[in-house]
Amino acid sequence: MPPPLFEIDTLQVAVEDKQIVNGLSLTLRPGEVHAIMGPNGSGKSTLANSLMGHPRYRITGGDILLQGESVVDMPPDERARAGLFLAFQYPTDIPGVSMINFLRRAMSARRGEEIPVREFRQVLNEVLGRLQMDEQFVRRYVNDGFSGGEKKRAEILQLGLLQPLVAVMDETDSGLDIDALRIVSEGINTFHSDENAILLITHYQRILRYVQPDHVHVLIDGQIVESGDASLAERLERDGYEPFMERTKEGVLSS
Amino acid sequence: MTQATLDADSAERPDVEVKPDDLRAQVTALSRSNREPDWLLAFRLASLEQALSMEWWTGQEESWRRTPRERLPRRARVGQVRGPADGSANGTAAIAPSHVFTPDAHSGLVQQYDGRLVASDLEEQAATDGVIIMPLSTAAREHPTLIQEWLGAVGPPQDRYDAYGRALWTQGVFVYAPRGVVVNESLFYLVTQDATAGDHWHYTLVVAERESQLSLIDGGDADDRRVELDETPLLHASVELIAEDGSNLRFASVQRWHRQTAAISTTRARVGRDASVHVTTAAFGADLDKQRIDMDFSQSGGYGEIRGLFVGDGKQHIEHVTRQHHQGVGATSDLLIRGVLTDESQAVQYGLIRIEPEGQQTNAHQTMRNLLLDDGAGADPIPMLEIEADDVKCSHAAAVGPVDPDQLFYLQARGIPPRVAERMVVRGFLSEIADGVPDEHMRDVIDELVEIQLEPARASV
Repeated sequence: MPPPLFEIDTLQVAVEDKQIVNGLSLTLRPGEVHAIMGPNGSGKSTLANSLMGHPRYRITGGDILLQGESVVDMPPDERARAGLFLAFQYPTDIPGVSMINFLRRAMSARRGEEIPVREFRQVLNEVLGRLQMDEQFVRRYVNDGFSGGEKKRAEILQLGLLQPLVAVMDETDSGLDIDALRIVSEGINTFHSDENAILLITHYQRILRYVQPDHVHVLIDGQIVESGDASLAERLERDGYEPFMERTKEGVLSS
Repeated sequence: MTQATLDADSAERPDVEVKPDDLRAQVTALSRSNREPDWLLAFRLASLEQALSMEWWTGQEESWRRTPRERLPRRARVGQVRGPADGSANGTAAIAPSHVFTPDAHSGLVQQYDGRLVASDLEEQAATDGVIIMPLSTAAREHPTLIQEWLGAVGPPQDRYDAYGRALWTQGVFVYAPRGVVVNESLFYLVTQDATAGDHWHYTLVVAERESQLSLIDGGDADDRRVELDETPLLHASVELIAEDGSNLRFASVQRWHRQTAAISTTRARVGRDASVHVTTAAFGADLDKQRIDMDFSQSGGYGEIRGLFVGDGKQHIEHVTRQHHQGVGATSDLLIRGVLTDESQAVQYGLIRIEPEGQQTNAHQTMRNLLLDDGAGADPIPMLEIEADDVKCSHAAAVGPVDPDQLFYLQARGIPPRVAERMVVRGFLSEIADGVPDEHMRDVIDELVEIQLEPARASV
């Protein structure tokens, strides 16, 4: 078994004074796709944002390791340059900043050196084509006036350009129609290789029809209450989260 | 050569004025040395008497309450001129203008250094069409009918600075597009100011005749930016914009005066029937900058736009006092001010939308947004509505706050360091205004100045 690429070790996260993630552990090895599934309010977005280092989410215990190195004390930009990526559930619009300028800066930051214009254009056009996105798209301001589908595609575009080691996808499937979901999923699959790992965070099972997970975890009240293979997702689809929620209450009570 | 003769004690007490008789004599000498026609001297002297009959501001007035009293001198002194305003009787040795403002493509240009003409040109086609851009005193000799018709036509002076501005100006420009003429490229009026030369009064008169189209870029720069001055120089700019029916007039002003300058401007636009006027100002320099912009819609169907951009640092005080005045039916006006404040800089926006009873079907909007980058910075946007018509659409919005942390997080999550991320958001924030400037080169200049202002270490470059 290859060494872990990404480890979440008994992670605890608080927002203001409320504890949301309660000692969550997870290990991703190169080449793996993990799915974390949970109902509303289970801590999915808190987990995603805290992994990337959002200042509003305070890590109160545990550790996050990328290639064996703790990233907990790193600011978000350092984590990103080290190879961590978050596909946002609600990408922020930044009026006045063009996509193309933003993408070029982001790519240069990830590489640690200025990317030549020619090379940038080439890579950009390739990824745009794959995602069936118009070249004019990058002339627009970052996420400004984008439809829900455009925002998600733009996230996948960044994933394809930045080539991170670990990609955390926060509800990337929400708000997508079936065609967009297929294109976005293909984008994820194209990116995926033996050298990186993907953590899909989702409410619904439907994206897992396109992106096959190796491991599925059920998140309830900020804890993983069950882990299994892809069949766990189907069970969730059939029976819902209810049975697991019962289980957690016991778990929480006993802890 | 005209020199202001100062009272011995006025240097120590900045508000003490030159004696009226001395002022009259100085204005007369100034006008004579410019070889101005008698009627122009009469205009100056009449304006001077108006000024002398008015009171200075006290700070009690609504639009003056937030102006730091000790930082904007209340005085009238004739500025030093380094030669006749049109340069005709002077040597031709060009004084190097600021590199920042050197224009690219343009249809015409007037460039002055302390009131002295250093360069001027006009595209052949524009000249054939009757377009005019020349120093105001020259225009008074060569086009007396036009100047007599339009000088001061925006209305009587609004206050003592405004009145003095019409009397004391040592440099000015006249820009004119005849009926139906479309001026292809922007026209440039570039002024370089030697801050050590004391107070300055500028006068800009722009007339777009019916169905014409022109855009004027007014760039003001200080020479000797690093010189430490003993006294605050006062600089007043009068700008009169006349847009006749169906015309399209764009005016963009970019200033970076000396760090110790107290700058005040009075910009008044008269918007004709179905005419459109765009006023954009970008403020970077000066210790205090108070811009007063007044747009008057007395005809129906006009469109007016006011755009203000600024980046404050140190202890700068940057103030916009605006009025969108609607008397005509169905005109539209839109104001948007965006500023970024660092260090302990302060901004004030006092914006009035005034709609008279006859101004039905008016659309009037104003938005003021201030980004505060440091704890010591502050902003006070005050939108005001005075509406006496019942069938109008008005809106106003004002905001003061730090950079949106979610925007910063998004950029940082892509590997962009916090300082760079902040710069990107700030420049994006300002770009909506800069993008409206009708000249690519000037947009670049604004970009560059934004960058310089946000990076004090580079300011000396």
